[in-house]
Amino acid sequence: MTNDTRTQGANKPALLVGVLLLIVAALIGYDASQQTITSTYGVGPTAMPYVVAAGLVILGLAHFLVAFREGLPQPDEADNKALLWIAGGLIFLIACIGLGGGFIIAITVVFACTARGMGRQGLLVDAVIGFVLGLVIFLVFAKVLTLILPSGPLERLFL
Amino acid sequence: MLTSILKRTALTAVALAALSTAAFAQVNELKIMAPAAPGGGWDGTARSMQQALTAAGITKSVQVNNVTGAGGTIGLAQLIGAKGAGDQLMVNGFVMVGAILLNKSPVNLTQVTPIARLTAEAEVIVVPTESPLKSAKDLAERLKADPAKVTWAGGSAGGTDHILAALFAQAVGADAKKINYIPFSGGGEALAAMLGGRVTAGVSGYGEFEGQIKAGKLRVLAVSSSKRLENAPDAPTLKEQGIDLELLNWRSVVAPPGLSADQVKALTDTVEKMVKSKEWQEILKARGWDDAFLAGAAFDTFLKGEIERVSKVMTEVGLVK
Amino acid sequence: MDTLLSLLHGFSVALEPSKMVFCLIGVFLGTAVGVLPGIGPALTVALLLPVTFKLDPAGSLIMFAGIYYGGMYGGSTTAILLNAPGESASLATALEGSKMAKAGRGGPALATSAIGSFVAGLIATIGLAFLAPVLVELAVKFGPWDYFALMIVAFVTVSATFGDSPLRGLTSLFLGIALGLIGIDKLTGQARLTFGVPELLNGVEVTTLAVGLFAVGEAFYVASKRFRDPEEIIPIKGSLWMTKEDWKRSWAPWLRGTAFGFPIGALPAGGAEVPTFLSYSTERKLCKYPDEFGKGAIEGVAGPEAANNASAAGTLVPLLTLGLPTSATAAIMLAGFQQYGLNPGPLLFAEKPDLVWGLIASLFIANVMLVILNLPLIGLWVRLLAIPQPWLYAGILVFATMGTLAVNGSPAELAMLFAFGFLGYLMRRYDYPVAPMVVGLILGPMAEQQLRRALQISLGDPMILLENPISATLLGIAFIALVAPFVMKGLNQFKAAED
Repeated sequence: MTNDTRTQGANKPALLVGVLLLIVAALIGYDASQQTITSTYGVGPTAMPYVVAAGLVILGLAHFLVAFREGLPQPDEADNKALLWIAGGLIFLIACIGLGGGFIIAITVVFACTARGMGRQGLLVDAVIGFVLGLVIFLVFAKVLTLILPSGPLERLFL
Repeated sequence: MLTSILKRTALTAVALAALSTAAFAQVNELKIMAPAAPGGGWDGTARSMQQALTAAGITKSVQVNNVTGAGGTIGLAQLIGAKGAGDQLMVNGFVMVGAILLNKSPVNLTQVTPIARLTAEAEVIVVPTESPLKSAKDLAERLKADPAKVTWAGGSAGGTDHILAALFAQAVGADAKKINYIPFSGGGEALAAMLGGRVTAGVSGYGEFEGQIKAGKLRVLAVSSSKRLENAPDAPTLKEQGIDLELLNWRSVVAPPGLSADQVKALTDTVEKMVKSKEWQEILKARGWDDAFLAGAAFDTFLKGEIERVSKVMTEVGLVK
Repeated sequence: MDTLLSLLHGFSVALEPSKMVFCLIGVFLGTAVGVLPGIGPALTVALLLPVTFKLDPAGSLIMFAGIYYGGMYGGSTTAILLNAPGESASLATALEGSKMAKAGRGGPALATSAIGSFVAGLIATIGLAFLAPVLVELAVKFGPWDYFALMIVAFVTVSATFGDSPLRGLTSLFLGIALGLIGIDKLTGQARLTFGVPELLNGVEVTTLAVGLFAVGEAFYVASKRFRDPEEIIPIKGSLWMTKEDWKRSWAPWLRGTAFGFPIGALPAGGAEVPTFLSYSTERKLCKYPDEFGKGAIEGVAGPEAANNASAAGTLVPLLTLGLPTSATAAIMLAGFQQYGLNPGPLLFAEKPDLVWGLIASLFIANVMLVILNLPLIGLWVRLLAIPQPWLYAGILVFATMGTLAVNGSPAELAMLFAFGFLGYLMRRYDYPVAPMVVGLILGPMAEQQLRRALQISLGDPMILLENPISATLLGIAFIALVAPFVMKGLNQFKAAED
């Protein structure tokens, strides 16, 4: 496995991680340099960010080194369709909560999509299970714990 | 089981209340937002209001919801967004005034409809019993001589404790910019720092230090209220010691902007009725909160005054640029 | 002797049938609510505070104790079964516990955690009864410099979670520390790395990162390689109960975990995280089967879980003797006392001995009840893993979402949860360890704040760290722990060269 990467020159994932680390370090350093208020005594709020940024720079450079040597472990091919199903469900969840669609519908979709992504072929059944799960959780939180989970039109029927 | 009992008593109370108080404007369903996580101080106030309002039968249903983040300013922004909602209240307090400035929040408290101040707690300045400092004057002298050597322990940066320390320095003519204030997370850590004798003085709400004060481990140099406290009659006020400074850590409720006069009246009446209820008074006693009810124009003016005072001192201390 | 008499008197209060019922209700509620991920013991107690409002002080406080200990038990259950630590203190438990659960050893993992918690709780509660006055003297002596040194010791031990590549481990750790910088700086009130987003001002929640990296990340990972290399979850393999071997490997970690947890928990800023990390890395070092670590070693569950529970009893030391609430849970317990106009502190023992000793006695009882309640439940819990995999992971995502929403119901927080989930997936894919990142997020801000407080008190003089005996000693330990492996390696090489 390591032989493959060496013959191809640099290991791309390792290079990419190295670049990302340098970008994060730059962001932290920039943010620290923009701070206007410092402590009157002792060390200020910028000392730690600079230390962390320096550490990340070293780690980023070390990744470049690794990229030209053994590289990162080669992962197996991923099942992108499965990932898309799950990610799609989660993105719907965020949008649903953000736009006021409520907890129960969001959970219904997440449950159904995740189960589909993990290989089940029964979207409708899973949606029903998700719906019941969401409803029960919502009611338990609202009635027993007096914590109101994000509510949409559906949830208001139960409050 | 408990809730069903509560509900039943609430229902009978509602029936009775409906007979006796027809003249009052009513809000039947109320939403109270606590702009903090469940379990915190504002959340406690909101849930206590819920308890008092339903138990006393003033409102049929009260919902508490929590909107966390950024010292309450995320909740504040949401409240301002709920323009014209006559059934919505939000708990807030002195700390939010500072948080708005510190977080450079795009929204502020002048944009809401003030309803009423509910409670207030006096702050105390304490020293360990072994400390040579005997009065606020001693502390003032020390502070004027070298502000760096006077270390203060208290709560979060820009919070009530910090602001009191800064106002104190100002009032005694020391350089407020140079105060060596060390914020601790939570009263416990600050208290430990005091007991260990690692800081010169500590600032906090009276309740937080009460046990140690009574046990004789801490000495109160001054209380920040206008009068001496009932449960600590020996502790002098700042004013008595010739320092012109008064500060209360208050909590209040506010409503969204854009309400009609009727809506404001209905909310104010509801809150006033709650404050006068037996249930609320019992909660105050149990929790050790002082009643500081103030509503209408008087609260309006008070709030404006506090905003002005806090922004002035925070700029002078260098917390806000 | 006085203490013993008082304690016996306490038992006479706590053993009244009505008090026992309160204790049982508390234990049950605490476990039930504590099982929900994201809802740790602190929130459990806060949410159930109103329920206790109507009871008399003694009954209510006893119920409280039950809820508190129950919440601690519940937290470890989700960490082991779902790899979703509900609070930062269960993090170390999740590391080995979830691996054990997948390999069909969920039963023994839950059992060693329950019995370890019981043993630790028992010893720590005895410590609370007899050593509290001594311990508290010591606890108050701890200054910011000492805390800083303690954090450094904890930092050094993190390398135990690095896996086989120091580079990837350090990268994970530093990214965690970087995440810890986000939000309002506690000492100046300034915003760091928030880029004008108000939701970031409160910083990154530890549970959000942990649940995201651990639970959500794993769901992605398992889904991504479902066809090629389906992961098998074995609900039960071998005995549901602990074997003789398990007992033999568990008892010493329980005791060592307690030895870390109780004293550090009693420190005003000690917390439960540091002792669990220390216990985890100690067990890893001492374990006779080091190869099993990372694949489900029972020592890695027994030690941290005992440390976690012992530290919970530890926080009661400053709370009861000084009135110092040193953790979120303790702060809410204090509120519980105050709702009856009681102020814990030096006077409480003298003024209300019934109450205090009744409470301590009920801690013993709660502990016994919890073991009795939880051991039979293990069989039930483990069956959760027999749910078909698609439903199991869908359920895990639902529970992760729910926990996040209950504490902080904003879309931004959810977005963070899932972003961390995806990051966790990528890290797993390229074999970066995820635990150091969470450790960095927890320890980084603590170490920074304590160091800055120390330097503020010393007006910028760093010598304060070496002038104080406790901090100097701790820093010395950290230095030795850091250097020793290299020296040993060097010596071995030297020897090898000689041969």
